[in-house]
Amino acid sequence: MLLGMVCVPVMAQTTTVTFDETQARRIASLGPWPPPRATDPSNRVSGNAHAVQLGERLFNDKALSKNGTIACSTCHQPDRGFTDGLARAQAIARGDRNTPSLFNLVGLRWYGWDGAQDSLWSQSLRPMLDAREMGASVAHVASHVRKEPSLRAAYRRAFAREPSPGDEAVAVDAAKAIAAYVETLESPRTAFDDFRDALARGDETAMATYPVLAQRGLAIFVGTGKCTTCHAGPRMSNGEFHDVGIPFFAEPGRVDPGRHGGIRKLQASPYNLLGTYNDDATRHTAVSTRHVVLDHRNYGEFKVPSLRGVARTAPYMHDGSLPTLRDVVRHYSNFDLERQHADGERILEPLGLDKYDVEALVAFLATL
Amino acid sequence: MIRAVAASAGLACGLAHACGDPGDKLASGAHYTIAYRTAPSPIVTGEHFAIDITVCPLGGAPLPRAVRVDASMPAHRHGMNYRPTVIAKGRGRYRADGLLFHMNGRWEIAFDVVTAGASERVTSAWVLE
Repeated sequence: MLLGMVCVPVMAQTTTVTFDETQARRIASLGPWPPPRATDPSNRVSGNAHAVQLGERLFNDKALSKNGTIACSTCHQPDRGFTDGLARAQAIARGDRNTPSLFNLVGLRWYGWDGAQDSLWSQSLRPMLDAREMGASVAHVASHVRKEPSLRAAYRRAFAREPSPGDEAVAVDAAKAIAAYVETLESPRTAFDDFRDALARGDETAMATYPVLAQRGLAIFVGTGKCTTCHAGPRMSNGEFHDVGIPFFAEPGRVDPGRHGGIRKLQASPYNLLGTYNDDATRHTAVSTRHVVLDHRNYGEFKVPSLRGVARTAPYMHDGSLPTLRDVVRHYSNFDLERQHADGERILEPLGLDKYDVEALVAFLATL
Repeated sequence: MIRAVAASAGLACGLAHACGDPGDKLASGAHYTIAYRTAPSPIVTGEHFAIDITVCPLGGAPLPRAVRVDASMPAHRHGMNYRPTVIAKGRGRYRADGLLFHMNGRWEIAFDVVTAGASERVTSAWVLE
C-alpha cells in the first residue's frame, strides 16, 4: 500500500504538491480515523450504557460543586469543542491553565497538562475536589448521589448495586460514570482524514478536493517542520511532555512546575492506578505509573495536546497565552532556544517559516 | 517500520546463535555479548515493551551480578520517561519491563553489565520510523 503513495503529484488549479515516500508514510501514520472503539479496564463501567447516561447527567450537574454553581460543562462547553474560549479556566476561582478539549480521551497514559492523573476517571474526580474548580469533597459528591432519588436510581442501574456507605468509593464511582460518558466524545472525521485515505489508495480525484494550501501545510507538517515528532499518530499527540519555550510562570514570582509537579501529585494520589480503586485486577493498566521517572528536566514540561479539532479550541498552549493558530505557528517559526532548560532536551529548532508557509500550516491545522 | 542498526562491533556472524536464542539481536562489548529480543516485536512507538536478555561472558569474564537497562535519543538529548525494572531469571537471563519509546527516530538501548567492582556498557541502536 505504501508504495502506491510515493511521490504522488497532487494537481490543483495553480499548484502541485508532491509528497515523498517519508512524507507519505508519516501522513498515513496520522490515521485511520476514527480509531477502533476501546474501553478502559481500570473502570468497570467503561462502555456501560447506563453509566454513560449517568455520567452525562453528572457532567452537567452543578450540584456536584461546593456552591452549586459549577458543573464540568461550565468549562468544558460542547459548542466550543468542550473548552471555554478563555486563556485560563474560570470556575470557582481562576486557574493557572487553559481548559483542554475532551475529545478522544479513552486509553491515554496521562491526563491533564501535567499528567497528574493516569486514568480518565481519576481525571474526572480531580476538578470536583479542586478548591479552584468545583471545590467539593468526596462527602459532598457522595451525599448528592445518595440523596437525589433519580440519581440514586441511575447509580443503581449503572453499578448494579446501591451506593456504598463509604463516601470516597461513591465519589470515585461518580467519576467513573463521568469518564464512561467522556469516553464517548469522539471528534468527527475531517477533510484531512478524507485526504489521508485518498492518498493511501492513490485516488487523485478525491485528493484534489483537499485545499492545496492545506496540502502545502501538511507537507511542512510531515516534512521540514518535523511536527510529527511529537504530534504523532491518529490523535496527533505522542501523549508525553515537552518544554516548548512557553514561560511557565503562573503569575509573577510563582512557577507552574508542569510535569515535575504532575508526577509528584500522581505518585501521592490515592486514586492512581496502583491504588485500590483500579478495577483492573491484573494491574497491566498501571505499567506507566509503576515505571514513570521524575527528573529535573520535567520542570516546565507540559503535555503535547492532540491537534484534532484544534481550530475550535483557541486560545492555545498550557496557559492560553497564544490567541490564534497563527500565533502558535509563528511561535514555532521564531522559537527562542534560550528559553529552554540548559540541561533539557533538544528537539525544537526555529522553523524560520515565511508568511506563505505560516498561512499554509494554519490552513492545514484548520482542516483537522 | 523499525529496524535495528549498528549494534556494536560484536555483530560478527560468528556470534550468531552462540548467545541467546535463534533470532535474538546481538550486541557486544569488550567482555560481554548481549542477546535480546523485545516483546512485543517490533517495538511500537508510544507503547510499553519488555526485553528478554541473555548475557554471555567473553574470554573468561565473570558472570554478571546484575544488569541495568536504559535507553536514550542522543540527537534529542533525552532519555525515556520511564525507568525499567530488571528481574534476573537465572543462567545469565534477565527480563526488563516498562520501557517506552515515545518518539520516532534513533534510540540507543544501553545494557550495563555489573560485576564486582566494575560495569561494562553494551549498546544497541534502533530507528523507529
